[in-house]
Amino acid sequence: MSPLYTALLCTFLPLAAALVLVLVSPLRRAGLAAGLFSVATALIAFGGAVTLLLERWSGAATPVRETVRWLPHAGLGGGAHARAVIELGVQIDGISATMLVVVTAVAACVQIFSLGYMAGEPKPDFGRYFTWQSLFLFSMNSLVVAPNLLQLFLGWELVGLVSYLLIGYWWSKPSAARAAMKAFWMTKLADMGLILALLVLFVDTGSFDWTVTTSAAGAVTLLLFFAVMGKSAQFPLHVWLPDAMEGPTPVSALLHAATMVAAGVFLVVRAFPLFEQAPTTGLVMAYVGAFTALFAAVIAVVQTDIKKVLAYSTCSQLGYMVAALGAGSQVGGFFHLTTHACFKALLFLAAGSIIHGVHSNELSHMGGLWSRMRVTSVAFLVGALALAGVPGLAGFFSKDLILEHVLERGLWAPLGALLVAAFLTAFYMGRVTLVALFGRPSAHAEHAHEGGVSLLAPLVVLAVPAAGVGWLGAKLSGLYAAPVHFHLSPVGMVATGLALAGLGLAYWMFGAPQGGGRLRAAFAPIGRLARSGAVNARFAWGYGVLGGVSSIFAWFDRYVIDGLMNGLGYATLALGARLRGLQTGRAQDYVYVLVAAMLGVGAYGAFWSR
Amino acid sequence: MSPAVRAVFELAPYLAALAAGALLPRRSGWAERAALGLTAALALALVRGLWPGAAPAPAPSPALEWPHLLNVIVFLPLVGAAAILFLPRQSPTLLRRFTLGILVLDLVASLFLLRASPERGWHFQFIADWLPSFGIRYHVAIDGISLWLVLLTTFTTPIAAFVSFGSLKTRVKDLCFSFLLLQGGMLGAFVALDLFLFYVFWELMLVPMLLLIGVWGGVERIKAAYKFFLYTMAGSVLMLAAILYLVWSHREVAGYLTFDYLALSRLVLPKTAAWLCFGAFLLAFAIKVPMFPLHTWLPDAHVQAPTGGSILLAAVLLKLGTYGYLRFCMGMFGGPAWGAAATLASVAIFGGILYGALCAWKQDDIKRLVAYSSVAHLGFVMLGLFAGTRAGVEGAILVMINHGIATGALFLLVGVIYDRRHTRMVREFGGLARPMPIYTAVFVLVTMASIGVPGTNGFVGEFMVILGTFTSMTLGSNAQMQGVAAAFGVILAAVYMLSVVQKVFFGPVTNPKNAHLPDLSARETIALAPLVALIFVLGLFPRILTDRMHDSVDAVLERYREGRLAHQELPEHATTARLRDRRGGPLERGYPKSPEEREAEAAKLAAATAPASAPAAQGAPQ
Repeated sequence: MSPLYTALLCTFLPLAAALVLVLVSPLRRAGLAAGLFSVATALIAFGGAVTLLLERWSGAATPVRETVRWLPHAGLGGGAHARAVIELGVQIDGISATMLVVVTAVAACVQIFSLGYMAGEPKPDFGRYFTWQSLFLFSMNSLVVAPNLLQLFLGWELVGLVSYLLIGYWWSKPSAARAAMKAFWMTKLADMGLILALLVLFVDTGSFDWTVTTSAAGAVTLLLFFAVMGKSAQFPLHVWLPDAMEGPTPVSALLHAATMVAAGVFLVVRAFPLFEQAPTTGLVMAYVGAFTALFAAVIAVVQTDIKKVLAYSTCSQLGYMVAALGAGSQVGGFFHLTTHACFKALLFLAAGSIIHGVHSNELSHMGGLWSRMRVTSVAFLVGALALAGVPGLAGFFSKDLILEHVLERGLWAPLGALLVAAFLTAFYMGRVTLVALFGRPSAHAEHAHEGGVSLLAPLVVLAVPAAGVGWLGAKLSGLYAAPVHFHLSPVGMVATGLALAGLGLAYWMFGAPQGGGRLRAAFAPIGRLARSGAVNARFAWGYGVLGGVSSIFAWFDRYVIDGLMNGLGYATLALGARLRGLQTGRAQDYVYVLVAAMLGVGAYGAFWSR
Repeated sequence: MSPAVRAVFELAPYLAALAAGALLPRRSGWAERAALGLTAALALALVRGLWPGAAPAPAPSPALEWPHLLNVIVFLPLVGAAAILFLPRQSPTLLRRFTLGILVLDLVASLFLLRASPERGWHFQFIADWLPSFGIRYHVAIDGISLWLVLLTTFTTPIAAFVSFGSLKTRVKDLCFSFLLLQGGMLGAFVALDLFLFYVFWELMLVPMLLLIGVWGGVERIKAAYKFFLYTMAGSVLMLAAILYLVWSHREVAGYLTFDYLALSRLVLPKTAAWLCFGAFLLAFAIKVPMFPLHTWLPDAHVQAPTGGSILLAAVLLKLGTYGYLRFCMGMFGGPAWGAAATLASVAIFGGILYGALCAWKQDDIKRLVAYSSVAHLGFVMLGLFAGTRAGVEGAILVMINHGIATGALFLLVGVIYDRRHTRMVREFGGLARPMPIYTAVFVLVTMASIGVPGTNGFVGEFMVILGTFTSMTLGSNAQMQGVAAAFGVILAAVYMLSVVQKVFFGPVTNPKNAHLPDLSARETIALAPLVALIFVLGLFPRILTDRMHDSVDAVLERYREGRLAHQELPEHATTARLRDRRGGPLERGYPKSPEEREAEAAKLAAATAPASAPAAQGAPQ
């Protein structure tokens, strides 16, 4: 099969699955059958994606780009834009092939995991869940294979919609419904940047391609970056991501850790030719990314909900990617995206398995799981060490690459922030691991036990790349850029040292029962700050102001504007009532007026009109 | 391959769609299944029939344009309305079936309009003298713009009538009469190219709408009906005065009376007069649209109107305002329209898109909320028109059609819970997704269309309007800022629509009265199915609409530009009007002839027939 058809299969098969599940309600309501159906299509899509990647791996294939006209002549009425068309299509090259594999692999694992994790749901809801999973896979793939920014935007909006549906999966819980809405609003706000970037680009060049040279690169890329901040949860637009943990845990793994939130980073990787034209934007990105990495890592340290820890950790790691791209390292950003997708999906699924066993998200309800849930614990440990950047595991390679690039650029402040973040990352992952797996078992954790094979198989499968994908870095980067040669650099050694120190500190504080009590107290203010949610409060404030303005407008409209119009009506009535008095009905009055008018007209004619 | 086999192959996709639509959904009644299947097959036919092929389609000859088609479309409902008067009041079923039959027949007839070629110019033109002594003619025609509005009308009216027959059981005869009369009036206004004729239809549709609100409306229906009527009348009377002034000016210059659009749009009035006439037309249309601050009749009218009335009000009647601005204000007063565009665009953005959206957010009545969302959406339409770029105008037309479909569906959906609970207050509901899952799914879907999520029809139009605004020369240096402000409106749409969805459908069931509400009935499903199908069809294949409107939009914009130039070339203190040059071509087909031309033509005809008949007469005896 030609690469084009393979790519189309990867994209549209999940859509077909979603449509079938929507329309054939017996299948949807059958529960498990719907899940298996969806999993089967996801696996086929994964197979197709692997084929595409292998073709590129062997070095034989050239990039594929096919488009169809969607809206011809969307011209602006003349000039260079008269013949502009809006196209949709498929572009397969190293970047999209790699991303397709990442997306479909994680999606397939998550769907298989969900078969077990969601088994307790009512059957129709189970079917609904898988319908949306398939829809998500379609949306994400159409974003990944997009040949231009417009199609990327279409996919971008669709994944936002599916994210809304999946976060609000337990819609009868008010907090879930609110979180879904908040996520939709926040990303929609950020999407405005993308719309405007598209417009500026189109006006300037008459095209939505990312390969064009534009004089407005600064504006375009800054607007694009605003959208990235929303989707990839960069400070201060990150506030929706922790709330999004209201969704089922597999959803968090797929959408809010591995793939959808990485779409922002993917956008920058894709539109890198544009970003290269705007050095200032790069600087902004480096600082914002590094600050987010640090800020989110600090908050992650004090979270008590295992999913919240991982959510803030995702923010922090996305900050790493953004900082890398800002420092001009396409490879660093994208490679970290790849490795992060593997170990963060693994971590979330392992956390899901733990939550499934313990029936709680709270760290304090866990403990001692190492002996009760051995497979899950090993998987979680692999993920945590990979994230912490222990040498040899995936995170180590990509983090090292990023730090090297940031150092090369001489971005000292971001470098410092990223190094501290690396230390904190190791520290909070050590803390979670030690508390959850090796801590004193709580009452909840007493009866924890492993779930079925569908819960464990994805963990085992994902643990392999989480541990080993780093070794493929040189080859993978060669698919779309000059191959990177990994070597242990001084800054990498510093980072590794910091990571090990972080793990050590975590062990000192949480490994031993009474260790580090005073230091623990030192973290309390940060905890309070994080929980009070200073940024969140700003947005709540903005929301309140907007709501207040809205209420005032609604009142104004009803009573002032409408009141004026009604007043006009009443005034007319009143005037009529008053004027009615003139029509007395007495002949004498009419004769008076008649005579007076005749005299008046006569006088006018006689004296003034000459 | 024998024709029979080929026919089977060609029919197979439609049959498959029919079967899929009929068999797949979990519905019970056979009527419902049949209707759903039919919807699926029709949606497929629409896409396949309209999909522009790779090769240019053979240009249909004018012979395909049956000249009486528009007459049939416009007068079928009017004649039907007259016929209703002679049907017995005691048999409501007969009345309903008759009305629906007429409306569906009209829909089928209007589909033949699609045979018109997409080239510029007037299609299906029909001209007859009506009151020759005043120069009033019966002149109807469509172009690529009014085509879609006519189809929107013939498409939504049957749905609105069908829904109303489900919930309104009193005075069925009057109801049927109102619907048919309303349909005739709306269609006539969209196709009329004679200003007198346009005015007649414009006023004609007020009466049945007044009845719909005033007779079958809510508690304060009389007040709302009066408000609607007086508001609209106030605007249109001034428009009548402006029309008369135009006709008089035209006679001063050209020497004969005519009310024809083609002739009057050549008129270049002195500046003050042009501004006053433009103002009068603008007022009439701005009230109808409605634009801030003349919009307050709309929420009242919607809240009081029955569901069917609301659907038509939102889907079609408001579009007459925007269509009128596009056709008459931009076509006849290019200068003032150009001059006022920047200011009016700000009104459309801040008073319509943003203010309307913020007002919508805090409404406690769902119908009021949807009404304010209409104000916001029509702000987008007007913005696209004011921008005066091709993308802007095409986007505006797309938003018109899409708003008709999505908001029509929203009003229908609100009517569904009103029928069950007799309240529309947001606080009365909560957790409706539990008892009414299908209803919830459809509501969320239509909400997404209303917000403008890609893949649904709402997206393309708004995107093109913002694009058109962004690049507009008309709006001057502020155009880009205005584009940004309009883009904010898209977010606000998500804010107010999603918060109402959350409050009404999600969370636990708070009110025990809602715990056992029945889901969508057969009638409601059948009414919603075509709307939902179109949401996707137009969202995925916007070319269906745009390919047929390119040339007409270009023609409108050309006329707009020429009007502006002529206006600017006029000396500042000119006191007399003048006429622009004739442009000829298909756009002036059917131009009214002056009496001299008529006489000359009659003489020529007589001269041509006389010699021809003379030899024949001579030859016969031989």
